[in-house]
Amino acid sequence: MKKLLPLFFAVCLISGCASAAYERSLEDLPKADFSVDIPSGWWKPQHVNRYLITKEGPFLQYVLIQQRPIDRPFKKTQKKLRNGMLPLESAKIVIDEIAADRNILNFNILENTPATIDGHAGFKILFSYRDKKGSEYKTLYYGFISGDSLFNLRYNAAARHYYDKDLADFMRILYSFKLVKA
Amino acid sequence: MKTIAFILTVWCLAAACATPPPISVDEALTAGNDEKMLWRRAQEEQKVIDNSGWLYRNAELETYLNEVAAKLQAFTDSPDISFKIKIINDPNLNAFAFPNGVIYVHTGVLAHMENEAQLAALLAHEMTHCTHRHSLRVLKTLKDRPRYMAAVQQSVEKIAMAQDLARLLGVNGSMAAVTGYTRELEAEADRVGLDLMAKAGYDPRQALNLFEHLRQEIEIEGIKEPFFFGTHPSVQQRIENAGRWLATEYSAQNTGLINSDIFRFKLDKLVLDNAQLDLRIGRFYIARRSVEKFLLLNPNDAGAYYLLGEIFRQHGELDDIQNAIKQYEKAIALDPSFPAPHKAMGLMHYKGGEQRLAQKFFETCLLLAPEAPDKAYIQGYLQKCITNGEES
Repeated sequence: MKKLLPLFFAVCLISGCASAAYERSLEDLPKADFSVDIPSGWWKPQHVNRYLITKEGPFLQYVLIQQRPIDRPFKKTQKKLRNGMLPLESAKIVIDEIAADRNILNFNILENTPATIDGHAGFKILFSYRDKKGSEYKTLYYGFISGDSLFNLRYNAAARHYYDKDLADFMRILYSFKLVKA
Repeated sequence: MKTIAFILTVWCLAAACATPPPISVDEALTAGNDEKMLWRRAQEEQKVIDNSGWLYRNAELETYLNEVAAKLQAFTDSPDISFKIKIINDPNLNAFAFPNGVIYVHTGVLAHMENEAQLAALLAHEMTHCTHRHSLRVLKTLKDRPRYMAAVQQSVEKIAMAQDLARLLGVNGSMAAVTGYTRELEAEADRVGLDLMAKAGYDPRQALNLFEHLRQEIEIEGIKEPFFFGTHPSVQQRIENAGRWLATEYSAQNTGLINSDIFRFKLDKLVLDNAQLDLRIGRFYIARRSVEKFLLLNPNDAGAYYLLGEIFRQHGELDDIQNAIKQYEKAIALDPSFPAPHKAMGLMHYKGGEQRLAQKFFETCLLLAPEAPDKAYIQGYLQKCITNGEES
């Protein structure tokens, strides 16, 4: 029996590595109406069906890019985005949605300013929060309305160490963002 | 779903440790390990809530709520429970009690009450969950576990926000705040609570008024998450029960303390603060009604007119824009140094293409609040007004 144990552990280890290698790719990122350049080292978790990438796991840091139809209801607020809204107004709705989320504890807006993304007038929100276990996170959220969609690029990371470490990568992704016209 | 599974698992484990005999209400508190475990867990969950940033901080109001609770406690058989009433910044109509006597009341339910007697009715109900040891009784009688678990699961699934709340609250809080106790225990809390408020000298008919008033609010706004009523006996059943008890056992007691004036005075600011929370989640109509209620008592409050203007502007349909302008103008007339309505007027004129007017309001706003958190936006819009003005 004892002889079998090392073999068993070896098999586990090999299958674990194989699965990790498979997960750490960008192959199954969903098709989108935008393009971005993703720096090396980022990968998409296999189980996530969104345009979400990470380097060391989503609990430590992730970048999420979304194209959200403006008529899709939010989960927490009944407010609606509209075409022609000013960035200040759409930022307010996004903030209201986040502030009403029960998973976001000690929500604190650190910055709310206008921003230009791929030439589109939008907004930039930087906020911090804690989860139930007390871990602190920071999120940098860029967004703009184009046509019937809210495009947003989010960088979320553990406030300690990870946020600063990978911020430059996110900014590279942000600056490379381009809408792909159909 | 994982959270619910977690809650159910923990309850299963807790139930496995419990012994089946039913608990007597008179048994000494903290006597058994089960109760100690419940209290310990309750304290842990309260720590999470208290550090969450969700508490509504108003020391004077908290003192008032605790004074009402103390009046009620004098008529219970549980003088050793240390009741503590806290307020949660949340517009939902809810309140919940932990077994150790800590009771959380949402700003939403407080904002929609009319008097102290209604507050006493709510607190007496929640206090009865503690004095009659409902958490422990549920725990002890979980021999009927599968049915109870199924009921808890069904209840949580019905309530859209429940998963979030369950995550925040943990096991004790989830049962108290989200799923409710069993139908029988909730009915007992209604029945004993009514008795308690009557003994404390409050007009028991206000309990019925509270239920009816909250039912109206729920129906008017189409609220889908009425936690306090969500899984408790249905609101209609509750109203019928209370009506029957009042007609029989309390038919002679058709008077008592109501205390409307002191209640309104103490809760004045909360009504406006809660209206902001309603606005945040897009309950425009209910927010508007709350501000109008506040304005009846505070007709010269510039902040309230500004908030009313925001409700119209953010709703943004039909006559809302004109109504918003009227409210902002009132706010500015009452307090010309209040920057927010100037900004709002600037935004409306800016979007309407009236750049010169917008410029004037933006400039005033920045003059009054040079360090406003959103000044970068205002500066940007102001710059465009100036540039466009020069070009034309």
